[in-house]
Amino acid sequence: MTHDDLRMAASVERGRALRIAVDGEELLAYEGESVAAALIASGRRSTRVTARAGERRGYFCGMGLCQDCLLTVDGLPNARACTTPIREGLTVETRRGLGDWDASR
Amino acid sequence: MVVGGGPAGLAAARTAARHGVRVVLVDENSELGGQHYRQMPAGFRAPERARIGRESDEGRRLIDEVRGLGVEVRLESVAWGIFDGRVVALATSGESSRIAAETLILAPGAYDRPVPFPGWTLPGVITASGAQNLVKAYRVLPGRRVLIAGSGPLLLAVAHSLLAGGARIAAICEASPMRHLWRYGPRLLPHLNFVQQGHHYRREIAEAGVPFLAGHVIRRALGGAEVTGAVVSPCDGEWRPVGGTELHYDADCVVVGYGFLSSLELSRLAGCEERYAAGLGDYVPVRSRELESTVPGIFVVGAGARVPGAAVALEEGHLAGLAVANRLGLLTGRGYSREASRARGRLLHLAGFRRVMDDLYRFGAGLHALADDLTTLCRCEEVAVSEAVAAVRDGARHVDEVKAWTRIGMGRCQGRMCGPALAHVIARATGGPVTEAGVFTPRPPVKPVRLAALARGGD
Repeated sequence: MTHDDLRMAASVERGRALRIAVDGEELLAYEGESVAAALIASGRRSTRVTARAGERRGYFCGMGLCQDCLLTVDGLPNARACTTPIREGLTVETRRGLGDWDASR
Repeated sequence: MVVGGGPAGLAAARTAARHGVRVVLVDENSELGGQHYRQMPAGFRAPERARIGRESDEGRRLIDEVRGLGVEVRLESVAWGIFDGRVVALATSGESSRIAAETLILAPGAYDRPVPFPGWTLPGVITASGAQNLVKAYRVLPGRRVLIAGSGPLLLAVAHSLLAGGARIAAICEASPMRHLWRYGPRLLPHLNFVQQGHHYRREIAEAGVPFLAGHVIRRALGGAEVTGAVVSPCDGEWRPVGGTELHYDADCVVVGYGFLSSLELSRLAGCEERYAAGLGDYVPVRSRELESTVPGIFVVGAGARVPGAAVALEEGHLAGLAVANRLGLLTGRGYSREASRARGRLLHLAGFRRVMDDLYRFGAGLHALADDLTTLCRCEEVAVSEAVAAVRDGARHVDEVKAWTRIGMGRCQGRMCGPALAHVIARATGGPVTEAGVFTPRPPVKPVRLAALARGGD
């Protein structure tokens, strides 16, 4: 485990390294990983800001049920980070509800 | 047709296919295995010495066996409805289809019981299964310093995987008092394999210097935008927080796992009868000796019927597979009786262990006193506990009424996250039993499906 990465170092050979874009920033990920795994590994825990209260939300149930880790993938909204696999060149946008995302960052 | 490719569904498919039944096995994930046998993605490989659990290897063998038997496997397929008895509606990669099944074996599994408490929506607060999936499938840690709160043996398994991955664990808070364990001694004697596994985990946790706090529950998760810590305190035998020392832990991840709830939406939609099991804090489908529900031709097995552990799930799947083959005349009467009574014998043996676990980790409804008025009850629609209480004050008695008045349960999770807790909020407000508050009426699609998929359904 390096300082800025939560991937366990010793115990696995990962898939091919790929690049994805998260809110315009380039991020290294591995083929086979879910979007959620890649985000959490890089310390990104929030996937969206809620519409009503403007609260941050992220990965919760981790099995496709709670619908809290929704974000926009390749322009398509409402993708679940926990069940969406990484592909080369994927663009991910953390989702803004009606809340003030920029002010809360 | 078998819905769900975890241990129960795989075992059902294997047994049925072995006896010559034509089997379609559907699962919404991209690989079979379910939560218990969660597989690493293609392209990942763990060297032998670095295995985190035996489960994924066992699962691999079972999956390969099922595929080798010619079972038609449909992955990334969401069974989103049951119509006209046993017609299952599927959405597969953007297309919808229907399969009219002669017999339906439902093995939909379970999910972590959602328990609202102050701060439970903060990013970094995750379920025990969510933590296990990150570590088992992707070898990614959910945090560097983790607090684990909940009840049951899964807490130990989570701690084991997190420690193996190099995380630090702030503490483990087990709601059960875990007292007088000696009284279970004689009943556990035939199940030393399970006991040894638990003992091994406990020793490892102690050696890592992790505090194990029995009789403690989480009070709140702390943090402004994301989680930064948590407060825990002692609880009574019903898991109700009691006064006493509050302990504060810094953590960048809080893992919560107060047991499981069966995924009952499909069996409910099909009209299968249920009863409430107070000791489990969950509804359980009513089943015959053959594990058939009250709807003829629909079987419910594994954690989708009650959460029994993988060993039980495998036997139940096997038993249902036998029953189906028998009905199609693919087994001799004597062959069926012999095989079925062997499976029932093994289930009886496992039930002895299960009863100890059920008693030791008996669900405490006091858990649902953790939320305060301002706590978010419905995560999707962002509705607080106080709004549900106000609806009850205005006369609402059933979860469906509260739903119509407050939007609690109208969101994308379709009430999975809030429904069970809402019933407890209503029960507390009225003073009545939790069963009187009822359950949300299930409606298809039971899981979100893109409209484009339905439009491309061809019917």
